[in-house]
Amino acid sequence: MATGIIKVAPPPEDKNLFQMAYGYASTIFSGMWKTLTIFLKQITGREKTNTLEWPEQPATYSDRFKGKHFLTRRDDGQVRCTACFLCATACPAECIHIVAGQHPTNEIEKFPVRFEIDILRCVFCGFCEEACPVDAIRLGPEYAMAGAAGDKWVYTKDYLADRGQLHGGVVSVKEENTKHFTVDHEASGDNLLATDAPHMRHH
Amino acid sequence: MSTETVTFNLNDRDITVPKGTTVMEAAHKHNVYIPHFCWHPGLSIAGVCRFCLVKVDNRPKLEIACNLQATPGMKVSTLLPEVKEAHKWALEFHLVNHPLDCPICDQAGECKLQDFYMEVGKYKSEMDRPKVLKPKALDVGSELVLDTERCILCDRCVRFEQEVTKTGALGIFNRGDRAVVGTYPDKKIEHNYQDNLVDICPVGAFTSRDFRFKQRVWFLKDQPAVCPGCSTGCHVKVYGKPQVRTYFRVKPQESEVNGHWMCDVGRKTYKHLNQDQRLRFAVAADGKGGRQRVSVAEAIASLALQLQGVAASDIALLVSPQYTCEEYDALFAFFVKKLGVSKVFQWREPTENLDAFDGLLYRGDHNPNTFGLSEALAKAGLPKDVKNGFEDLARSGAKVVVALAPEIEFQFPSLAGQLQKLSELAFVSVWTTSGSAYNVKGLRHLVPLKGFAEKKGTFRNFQGKVGELAKPFPAAVDEAKDVVEVVTALAEVWAHA
Repeated sequence: MATGIIKVAPPPEDKNLFQMAYGYASTIFSGMWKTLTIFLKQITGREKTNTLEWPEQPATYSDRFKGKHFLTRRDDGQVRCTACFLCATACPAECIHIVAGQHPTNEIEKFPVRFEIDILRCVFCGFCEEACPVDAIRLGPEYAMAGAAGDKWVYTKDYLADRGQLHGGVVSVKEENTKHFTVDHEASGDNLLATDAPHMRHH
Repeated sequence: MSTETVTFNLNDRDITVPKGTTVMEAAHKHNVYIPHFCWHPGLSIAGVCRFCLVKVDNRPKLEIACNLQATPGMKVSTLLPEVKEAHKWALEFHLVNHPLDCPICDQAGECKLQDFYMEVGKYKSEMDRPKVLKPKALDVGSELVLDTERCILCDRCVRFEQEVTKTGALGIFNRGDRAVVGTYPDKKIEHNYQDNLVDICPVGAFTSRDFRFKQRVWFLKDQPAVCPGCSTGCHVKVYGKPQVRTYFRVKPQESEVNGHWMCDVGRKTYKHLNQDQRLRFAVAADGKGGRQRVSVAEAIASLALQLQGVAASDIALLVSPQYTCEEYDALFAFFVKKLGVSKVFQWREPTENLDAFDGLLYRGDHNPNTFGLSEALAKAGLPKDVKNGFEDLARSGAKVVVALAPEIEFQFPSLAGQLQKLSELAFVSVWTTSGSAYNVKGLRHLVPLKGFAEKKGTFRNFQGKVGELAKPFPAAVDEAKDVVEVVTALAEVWAHA
């Protein structure tokens, strides 16, 4: 016997395929009966249909679905991203382009002047989401991304953080690292120790 | 220096070093890496980071390698488990107040703390008190940003200020976990060597204002080169991102010429290499009094036509001392030896002070290859005096002028005016890396050249020492050629005409 071959069923001894014992004809007819009864039940309204009439009827996936990217925000509404480039580094499709800059207010040091995703190159692997140390980028439940050739396929920072589907934006679950910007370190004294910096310790 | 030597044993290997050498220096010389923060080969020994601990046989405690002189018969090990354990705990202490803001820190990727953390880090801090917060993003100098929170108080910067530049603007203030590095009141770091503080800082306390947030270092590729900023010819590394053909910074490379340092002026010599500063295509006259974009081959053909139309005595060369020896040899082999041109002038900044020297590295001769040009001129049988020949060119009455423009333009304030004057001549072909020549409407013949980081060749510094441009980046401009390529193409057109 040749190795590597597993027999799953004995071959029919009688070559008559319509013999009920082998189930060829019987299963075909029982299947057709099922189809017919469900069709009649649904057309007469005795059973609910499972098919959606998308896009007229909306369909939603769970929040864990890895669909269209979005950028989260801080409590004050600013983009949470610190432009650390870790998502761009992890991205196997090299579709994330970031230009970092110094924020005009000193509260935030580094922020993305531009944050762009070339969605045609994206493979939706979710590595950017995993690499992000501050929960700034997530893949959301939006899945309808088809468009015409002339559409804008590079998502800008404003679109990623602020499009209508996000209903005003999503707040990051990672809060801001406690910072101390006063140059006057003599005056701060023991207050320094009282300030609680709850996260971003090495763990 | 005494010639006495000491033989001691390092990791089961006998090493012979001059008497008085420390274990750290010996290990550094023999490629045995002992982790360290505060020790730097160019600075004095401080012994403050307590990180370079090694085990010496028959001594009860671990000792710091940087301040431990090698003695005969000493047996030193850097590989024992107890040494690794000591590194682990020393690192834990350094991280007690370190903010770990690596995502926004420019040092991330070349940070010693990160490197050692990956090697011996504990991954689980035993510290239960909150971190001490300190001032961040301080303006301490025109080229520097200081983040005192990231500092691990190795005091390399303080020693650099005291020993190398002797300006002493930095100090460590307060004590215990409140200690911060900073400038003295009303003082700023004001010298031409500020970015060396960024280089020697093992963490991200000092970061460069110029490079700040521009790019993460792990995207950059570095190639060795020679700084074209002055005649000292420091050995440097140019950092760029070849995929996007952009250059980001210049850093010193340890060598006999420059030691461990380089000046801030030299660090700006990458900017002119980027596309926005470059001449991106060749330009030639369109025959209607204007000019048009042409291929380099067409530009060379039209130049050959001009050269053939005049006698050798009507041709002049105006050469900047910022090109490589090989380029001068090729240029003079064609123009002087083959065509018999004798009017060769040096294109130098009229206001330069050749003898100026700041005592460390930066010289008044802002050309990397003055020596090489003089040698090449002598070899071609021409006067080798170092003098500005721009006025002589105007008086020479040449009908066709080939001008090799200076590459580093920010050190050449007279350039704009001189290009304007050149454009008034009958026919002038300017070979240049920079787009500034294109802005002078009267210049009707331009050839784009490669920058110093994009070509092979040698510079010879003020002492005649050879500095090699060995590993070029791909040119940021497609059509750019080096002078050797242009002259070879020109000679070929000439031969077939």
